[in-house]
Amino acid sequence: MDKENSGQVTKRTTRASASSTPSKNTLSNQEEFEDMDKENSPQVTKRTTRASASTTPSKNTLPNQEEFEDMDKENSPQVKKRTTRASASTTPSKNTTDYRPPSLLDNLVFREQQSIISQDELFSTFPGRKCQILELLRLFGPINSSLLPIFLYGGPSSGKTSIVLHIFKHLKRPFIYASCRTCHNPRLLFESVLNQLLLHRKDSSNAYSSAKRCDKPSDFVNMLRESLMEVINSLRVNSKKSGLKESGEQGIGGMVYIIFDNMELVRDWDKDSVIISMLFKLYDILKMPEVGLIFISNNSPDTYHLNTGSVEPIPIHFPEYTEDDLYQIFLRNQRDPKLYSSFLDVVLKDSCKITRCIDELSTYFRLLFEKYCEPLSGIGRVPNQDMKSKLYMHLKPHVTPSLNEVFRVPSCLALELKENKEKVGKKRNMRRLGDGVVPDDIDFHMSVSAKYLLISTFLASRNPATLDAALFDSAGGGDNTNRKRRRK
Amino acid sequence: MTPSATPDSPPPSSPTANNENAESNLQPFFVLHKPIHKNSSRKSTQSAKTRRKIDLSTETPKSNKSKGAEQVEQIVDDHHYQQLRVEAFDIIWSKIEITIKEVLRGINRNVFNEIHQWVRESFAAIRSTAGTLNSAEFTCPYPLSIDIDYKKIFTGLVFTKNVEFVDDLLTFNDLRLHLKSQGCHVVNLSSHDFSAKSGIGGCIRSLLRQFVMVDPDVADITILASWYNEPENFDIPLVVIIDDMERCNGSVLSEFILMLSEWVIKLPVILVMGVATTIDAPRILLPAKALNYLEPCKFALGSPAERLDAVVEAVILGTNFGFDIGHKVTVFLRNYFLRQDGTVISFIKAVKIACAKHFVTEPLSFLCSGLLHEDCHGFLLQKCALLPESMREYAFSLPSCEGLDKTTPLSAESLASGISEIMKLKKNWSSIFMCLYEAAKFQKKQLVDILCEALDPDAYRTRSSLQRRVGEVLAKSPSVDHYSATKGSLILQVIRKVRDLPMKQLCQLLQIWGKHSEEIAAELHEKVKELQSLLKSEEENNGGQADVEGLSKMLATRRYMNIQRDKGKVFDKAVLLLESMIRDYLKPIECAPFHEIICFKNVDILQSALVGDPRRMIQVDLLKSHKFLLCSCCTKGGTVLLPSMHDTSIMYTLAQEHGDLINLHDWFKNFKSTIVPPCTSAKGKMRSPSSKKRKHSNEPEDLPDALVQARFCRAVIELQITGLLKMPNKRRPDYVQRVAFGL
Repeated sequence: MDKENSGQVTKRTTRASASSTPSKNTLSNQEEFEDMDKENSPQVTKRTTRASASTTPSKNTLPNQEEFEDMDKENSPQVKKRTTRASASTTPSKNTTDYRPPSLLDNLVFREQQSIISQDELFSTFPGRKCQILELLRLFGPINSSLLPIFLYGGPSSGKTSIVLHIFKHLKRPFIYASCRTCHNPRLLFESVLNQLLLHRKDSSNAYSSAKRCDKPSDFVNMLRESLMEVINSLRVNSKKSGLKESGEQGIGGMVYIIFDNMELVRDWDKDSVIISMLFKLYDILKMPEVGLIFISNNSPDTYHLNTGSVEPIPIHFPEYTEDDLYQIFLRNQRDPKLYSSFLDVVLKDSCKITRCIDELSTYFRLLFEKYCEPLSGIGRVPNQDMKSKLYMHLKPHVTPSLNEVFRVPSCLALELKENKEKVGKKRNMRRLGDGVVPDDIDFHMSVSAKYLLISTFLASRNPATLDAALFDSAGGGDNTNRKRRRK
Repeated sequence: MTPSATPDSPPPSSPTANNENAESNLQPFFVLHKPIHKNSSRKSTQSAKTRRKIDLSTETPKSNKSKGAEQVEQIVDDHHYQQLRVEAFDIIWSKIEITIKEVLRGINRNVFNEIHQWVRESFAAIRSTAGTLNSAEFTCPYPLSIDIDYKKIFTGLVFTKNVEFVDDLLTFNDLRLHLKSQGCHVVNLSSHDFSAKSGIGGCIRSLLRQFVMVDPDVADITILASWYNEPENFDIPLVVIIDDMERCNGSVLSEFILMLSEWVIKLPVILVMGVATTIDAPRILLPAKALNYLEPCKFALGSPAERLDAVVEAVILGTNFGFDIGHKVTVFLRNYFLRQDGTVISFIKAVKIACAKHFVTEPLSFLCSGLLHEDCHGFLLQKCALLPESMREYAFSLPSCEGLDKTTPLSAESLASGISEIMKLKKNWSSIFMCLYEAAKFQKKQLVDILCEALDPDAYRTRSSLQRRVGEVLAKSPSVDHYSATKGSLILQVIRKVRDLPMKQLCQLLQIWGKHSEEIAAELHEKVKELQSLLKSEEENNGGQADVEGLSKMLATRRYMNIQRDKGKVFDKAVLLLESMIRDYLKPIECAPFHEIICFKNVDILQSALVGDPRRMIQVDLLKSHKFLLCSCCTKGGTVLLPSMHDTSIMYTLAQEHGDLINLHDWFKNFKSTIVPPCTSAKGKMRSPSSKKRKHSNEPEDLPDALVQARFCRAVIELQITGLLKMPNKRRPDYVQRVAFGL
């Protein structure tokens, strides 16, 4: 509430200043106007330089004003948006849930103030992905520049989705996200995209139904075009309004981006080829330069048999992390980086040979790190060289077994460690016995006849297939004890 | 497959009695396959072997019934007493049922509380991660980008320890109610929701149906998200219980987990999965990428054997319900549990059947309800006095009364006191049994096993004679182990092992004995008390020994030896006490007169009721359908086929005349000639009630061919559905194959 109020107040002042006293901070204002012109025109200028130019000169001269302005830049577009939405969103029924009024910005752009992140932050959050981020930023280009379809691919947990989402956080542009995992059939995918575009929310007031029913790809294209038009128009109106008053810099631009995540799953659907080709051709079909399409997949684009004749998406590969990258990744957000780095020195090299998937490694490391820290409980937390080797000796026996575990069920190891230690030993031993030996005391109850049935099935499975008819057919074959049980 | 193969290798047509018995133990598993040939006629008449005819005339050997049996039947059929018995059954069974439910709930209570605690903790953990999020982020369609360590789905693996899942359905239902009462959103998903056929949509749909109470046309998890963000639903854990994880389709389940992982934090779903076998099960079922998202925790339900023990303890040993099961029935039930089924539910069902059968077959069983009365003897007296002479006679002619003094008057008085005597006996028996069982507990023996032996009247007799002998020998040379000969007897094993118990456990044991013996006899209680005080002094001596450690070594050793000897004495006394208790009081109920009135002993009835033998019943019913339909048109027909009979019944009766294969054409012709009377003049008389259409037509003789064919086809299909026929195959398009022969 406070923020809104202040935003409004400041807006009024800036408006006043913009109209009546343009001389106050001429330099920056002029700069901004210039900028806006440039941005409206298809020509593109470097934004970064301009931003620095606009902030630096006024800083020393007018600190007070500067503060106001800064707040302005951050707040006013939002306030603006909200008001325009209120006026523009004549579409009924949406405002019924009053605890969360929908608005374009709310839904399509990361909203919170603190979530605006700088480029440097982006790089530091994703170590080892600098070139991909730069490439993406280059492709996205400055505001209102059109985007050819992009195709991101790489192994699981290589940061594809996170990076894209963070870039949108950084750029503050409207986007729509649809994961083919959550939307597990075409209809859900289509409706999810449309719902987001139309700012529709499923709730009890509309019986949890979608805004529009959309089953067929052709319907989807038509509806998508319609709703995109609407959105883009409102964005244009928006940016015009805000752009005239403020700098275009903080605006969200006129582009709408659609992200399709987990594209590889589409291939398991019915009529997958139709949908895949439709999605990849969407850019050509829609012929709307204001729409940017981003596809994210585990597989390389070669696996999709893309039809030629349409604009092929620009592939961006997310390769496996290198060992150094992994080191960086695991080191960030650690409470005790020194200790952890000494831990990583020990384990990372070996485990890298087996997997570089962050998810797997992190589960594995979490267990091992606990072990690693065990002898440290009494002593101070900073290990010296001597201590390190000691810790290593302690850890060594656990490395290989845990590695073995991590690929089967890391979860159960964790559980057993936590739950009942004395039983673990027993269990382990039982497993060690090998698969052939069934321990005498199985943990679960099984009736005698079920056991016989299992044995007979096993025996039957060892028989050659040619004997099946003779042994198990209801009418044929020899007199076998199995016959009674196994006859149909 | 060839018809000639069958006569060449006839199944063992005349199984020995022993064989038959062994087979009948396994019956539910091949009920559908192998008929037991009661008459050897098939073997002898080679020509008739293809004619698989069922002869129902041998079914009811009513003619050779004794007069006494007839009398009993008369009593059984008496309407008034029938009513009384049904009432008694209702009263007694409802009490037993309530007790069982209470016991089962009690077993699970601890685990349920544990699970609830864990759900709370997990939810708190999720919430603490979600602390920084605002409401917009809770509904955003994109996944939250957070560390994998916080992205876990908390998963409780509940080990049911039973490959049969029937019991677990009930358990998980109870768990749902429990968690719901503690204020969680809970759903139960079964393995059917995770089938490959319905895919991921199936389980999401089921989830939505139970959580949101809507049935959307597309199964969309975002519905759940927006439902959860409604203020009245928010901030409550969502618990999803999956009954039997191992029966689920692995790929669907993993897809479900991966989808949930996209909504992690936003939807605080906590999974509870039932695992029947071992901890390896999730590892086997799920791919690593799904396992990565699980943060498991282990819970264990009581094993079926434990549950069974608890139920048995409550029902047979606990409070007196006025219904008891005999030794043979107990053994049968135990074997049924161990060998065939292994679920407590079916055990309870079997007990219920036993109870119902008891009240149906035992004429005097209505007296049982009197045992629940405050003034049991008075009530019984009153009831017995009202009994007609025939019934009283019947009571005194029960096999258990043979040993009774012939001079005993056949009065209501003696009958009533006899029954009250049984109750007293039973009470003592259960107290002593509990003493014995407490001792057996230290040796990890199963209650049911000991129970079977304790109920056995034969074992009782041999035991008492043996003990007398042993007692004599013991007087001569106390150092010999006399029980080595009795290896098979569990009870004697238990008695012997008492000697090897540690001091502390013996102390506990005596305490429990003290409690139980209080109810039986003063002198017994006195003995236990005496032993306890002796033990106490021993212990004090022991404690003293620690103090005198400073004394010279020799002295200490001597003292120690003394103590050892004394200790041996105490243990000997304990053993002797237990022996005497068992000898005097552990008298099975089947040794008492009139026990038939409250004790169910008929294993055969129970067995046949449990086995069910559905196909046999279908065949019999088909052959005499008029007995069930009770229509006026067919009753007088006897075995002759009438057109008014039900089509399927006609068809099946006709099929009896054929061999393994039935020529469709012949069959159809037979059928047609049966339902369309050859004599056209007999008009309205032969109308079939099964075809209403025909009633409106004036002339039954022009029953259209199409209609006959349609009826024929329907009957064939019905026979196929009941599993008596196989449809024609390509090789023999004009023949159907009979599947089941004989009864």
